[in-house]
Amino acid sequence: MKITILNGNPDNQKFDDYLNNLVKMLELSDNRVVHFKLREMKIRHCRGCFGCWLKTPGQCIYKDDSHAICREVINSDFVLFATPLVMGFPSAVLKIAMDKLIPLLLPYIELVDNKECHHEKRYDKEYPLIGLLIEKGDDTDSEDIEIVSDIFVRFAIDFRTSSRFVMQTDIPVQEVSDEINRI
Amino acid sequence: MKLTVFNGSPRGKKSNTAILLEHFLKGFMETEGNSYELEYIVNNKDVGKLIEMFKDANNVILAFPLYTGCMPGIVKSFVESLKPLCGKHGNPSVGFMVQGGFPEAYQSRFVERYLGKLAKRLNCQYLGCIVKGGIEGTRMMPQFMTKKIFNYFYELGKNCGKSGKFDEELLKRLAKPEHLPAWRRLFYKFSRLTGMANIYWDRQLKENNAFEKRFDRPYGD
Repeated sequence: MKITILNGNPDNQKFDDYLNNLVKMLELSDNRVVHFKLREMKIRHCRGCFGCWLKTPGQCIYKDDSHAICREVINSDFVLFATPLVMGFPSAVLKIAMDKLIPLLLPYIELVDNKECHHEKRYDKEYPLIGLLIEKGDDTDSEDIEIVSDIFVRFAIDFRTSSRFVMQTDIPVQEVSDEINRI
Repeated sequence: MKLTVFNGSPRGKKSNTAILLEHFLKGFMETEGNSYELEYIVNNKDVGKLIEMFKDANNVILAFPLYTGCMPGIVKSFVESLKPLCGKHGNPSVGFMVQGGFPEAYQSRFVERYLGKLAKRLNCQYLGCIVKGGIEGTRMMPQFMTKKIFNYFYELGKNCGKSGKFDEELLKRLAKPEHLPAWRRLFYKFSRLTGMANIYWDRQLKENNAFEKRFDRPYGD
């Protein structure tokens, strides 16, 4: 399976160690893994200019590292969004990268499940399944986890895919790896 | 009443958020003695100044467009910069304005829950959250339709300027439709069949000489 990890860790080493272990384990079970450390990449935040829909369809008009991310994401079977919770939410580093995935969609809007407006897919293929791995902060409570999980499911609908899990880093790496291998 | 407004739109002064705020603030200023300051989050190099403004404010409104189901990345950055203020005494009361491109208010309800929790986190009194969908479409709506929407923002502002709160009844009426009613879904399907639904995008694609490339898949099939 081809897996992309978007690591939205703003600074802490412990979280990176956890992910590095996860990558090793996933590779041992024959997955191809691309691990993006977002904080080290050059990603301009989305300006809402719609250039990626209306000027250079499919690509952000700014030449930054979001192009490499889009390329890997759309060619993956599974994408793991990984982040510590900061102020009860995934990091800004991660959200800035997530905003830059909209070139993978078309501007055109359709009713999903004959119910809700969402953008159409740009690519014909099945979009990668997604999962969220979070590290709790000192201030995280169960309500935070619930809110974050629900918003992640909304993100999945926007990206015309579905969320497979929301997991926390307080369990052994092996369990996360196993869960991904079951996909 | 003194109000400090943060516009969190990545489009800054040229945003739909700015237009909605303008109408809200016009209403807000109808009450004598009211005043406000307005600051843009995008391209703001002086994060320290934003934090100071927040700390010194009596009442704050943070306004932003819905980006992939929640706040834009730059707004999350701003929220993170407020972390030192968590649980402190004397933080302002805080309200929010979330406007979405899709017509359903429902799409903004999830981030609304986060915002309510954020107010608690910051030990701020929560003024509530103004939610409105379908705002990108105002760029092509006839004036009589936008007038109705903008008037709600004016009324909300006026009411807030007097009472210091968001009027629940107005919030509910403004938010409509919460979900798309059956007739609008039918109308939408029909307008897609006829290509009418795509006019807004196609016109701009043609202006940019990009219409032929609209389905490009630069990263594979």
